[in-house]
Amino acid sequence: MVVYSFYIFDRHTECIYSKSWLPPPSVSSHDPLTNPPTHPQHQQPPPHQPQQPPQSTTTTTLTLTQKQSSDNAKLLFGTVFSLRNMVRKLGGPDDAFISYRTAQYKLHYYETASSLRFVMLTDVSTLSMRNVLHQIYINLWVEYVVKNPLSPVEHKGGEGVRNELFELGLDQFVRGLM
Amino acid sequence: MCVSLIQPPIHQSHRHTKRLSRTVFALIIINKAGGLIYNRTFHEGGLNKISTNELLVLAGTFHGVHAITARLNPIPTPGANRNSASSAGTMMRPEPPSGLEVLESENFRLQCFTTLTGIKFLLFTDTTQTNVDLTMRRVYEMYTDYVMKNPFYQLEMPVRCDMFDRKLLSYIREINNR
Amino acid sequence: MSQPRPPNAPSASGNPSAPPQKEPSSSHTTGLRYPSNGKTIYHRHLSRSKTAELSQASFAYLFSEMVTYAQRRVTGIQDLEKRLNTQGHPLGLKLLDLLLIREPPRSQSRPLNIITLLHFIKINLWQHLFGRQADRLEKSSDPDAPDEYMIIDNEPLVNAYVSVPKEMSQLNCAAFVAGIIEGVCDGAVFPARVTAHSVGSKEEGEMWPGKTVFLVKFQPEVLEREALIGGKG
Repeated sequence: MVVYSFYIFDRHTECIYSKSWLPPPSVSSHDPLTNPPTHPQHQQPPPHQPQQPPQSTTTTTLTLTQKQSSDNAKLLFGTVFSLRNMVRKLGGPDDAFISYRTAQYKLHYYETASSLRFVMLTDVSTLSMRNVLHQIYINLWVEYVVKNPLSPVEHKGGEGVRNELFELGLDQFVRGLM
Repeated sequence: MCVSLIQPPIHQSHRHTKRLSRTVFALIIINKAGGLIYNRTFHEGGLNKISTNELLVLAGTFHGVHAITARLNPIPTPGANRNSASSAGTMMRPEPPSGLEVLESENFRLQCFTTLTGIKFLLFTDTTQTNVDLTMRRVYEMYTDYVMKNPFYQLEMPVRCDMFDRKLLSYIREINNR
Repeated sequence: MSQPRPPNAPSASGNPSAPPQKEPSSSHTTGLRYPSNGKTIYHRHLSRSKTAELSQASFAYLFSEMVTYAQRRVTGIQDLEKRLNTQGHPLGLKLLDLLLIREPPRSQSRPLNIITLLHFIKINLWQHLFGRQADRLEKSSDPDAPDEYMIIDNEPLVNAYVSVPKEMSQLNCAAFVAGIIEGVCDGAVFPARVTAHSVGSKEEGEMWPGKTVFLVKFQPEVLEREALIGGKG
């Protein structure tokens, strides 16, 4: 089982957290969708990769990547939102969209009662990750974000999500699955 | 820090209702421009009844979402790197990423098959339905026989062929009564 | 003899029966393909390809295009059926000759009365075209129409994939086959009008939805002659 990436969208449809476990693409690649989706506000270099592009292009590359990954997140949200609405229309208001897969990847979706949406992209052979997403919600999100006294109620621009405990917990949990 | 793998309560309430029947609910065919050209329900009560207008909108939406799901492919394709691709010259082009193939929700399963000519067959089945690939293949076969070989069918237009209806209905009835 | 040769090699080497004009150099440029031994379909013995089978799919596509072609600038369903009939007519004329020549020598004679002709159509023609006999042969029970006979096919092969739209429900694309039958009758000097009618929606409709009756209406002179010879041929 391989986990490619993970996203959280809040009830204002904003992407408040995203993380990729894919190896970072080479600098020469210009395919927008192969770039690791990192969060615009809190750009973090991937841990095991002290990659330093030439000074002159750093700023342009960075802004480009930021824009691309934010576009990517928007595209992703649009997709899951449309599919969720479609599922409700066809399957009844109590129906819930669980996952879809293409020949290349599989997307898992979990929505909480508070309209918080968890999305995970994995390889196609992975079985349902709904439990996993649910556990991320109760064991990581509720514990480290909701119960954190310093965390705001609304996570505008990802504020309060990207704290050390949550990130570390998530990384360990997902790496434990793989 | 360690997250225990407890079974969340979300799934259990739906488990027993799923095992009721193995049924093909409905078939939808979408032409390459995203227009709805065929829709038929085989089993009442499987999916919500929705009006033709809504169904037309739904087909269009699905068409768009399908294209986006292909773009969202997180895996860097070999040959996405243009430098290496151009140096390889006449190397085989990699398969383009496919769009959505299977969608799962709590109440139904949707399998989408795209023909080489861009027509999409959407088969809605019960979540436990097996061998949908085979069913899909047979439906496609009937389409090529009774729609494409019919002198009165105009390409891209709504499918109104008695013979196709008749053969399809008797085939699906056989599956649903098994 | 049947060894493959390069396309431009001289044909004189091992194939004296091959006419020189289909030297493959021309086929090379025109894109027409000839078998490497120079034997085209025209060199085959007439009786030999008796059991040759064709792809139903390719026929279905061809027939579909034929119907579409016939539909151009057509004034109505009658006109369309007439055009399909016309397409089939020459086939019937030619098939009569071909099928007779394939008969064993003692029965190799032209049908001389209505019944033998209709049996020839029901058995030989159907076997050749569709790989089976027609389902039934009937004479009209109407005393006012002694010149009408019916050949019945429960599911005509030409209609296997055809769904006629509701607004054209009068149409039966087997008019093409009716044309072939007409050609055979005309060729055997039994001039007739043959039309195809769908009867599937009436009785037995459930069983054979595509059931078709080919109504053969002979010209008065045929019946006159028939009466003179007393039906003995």
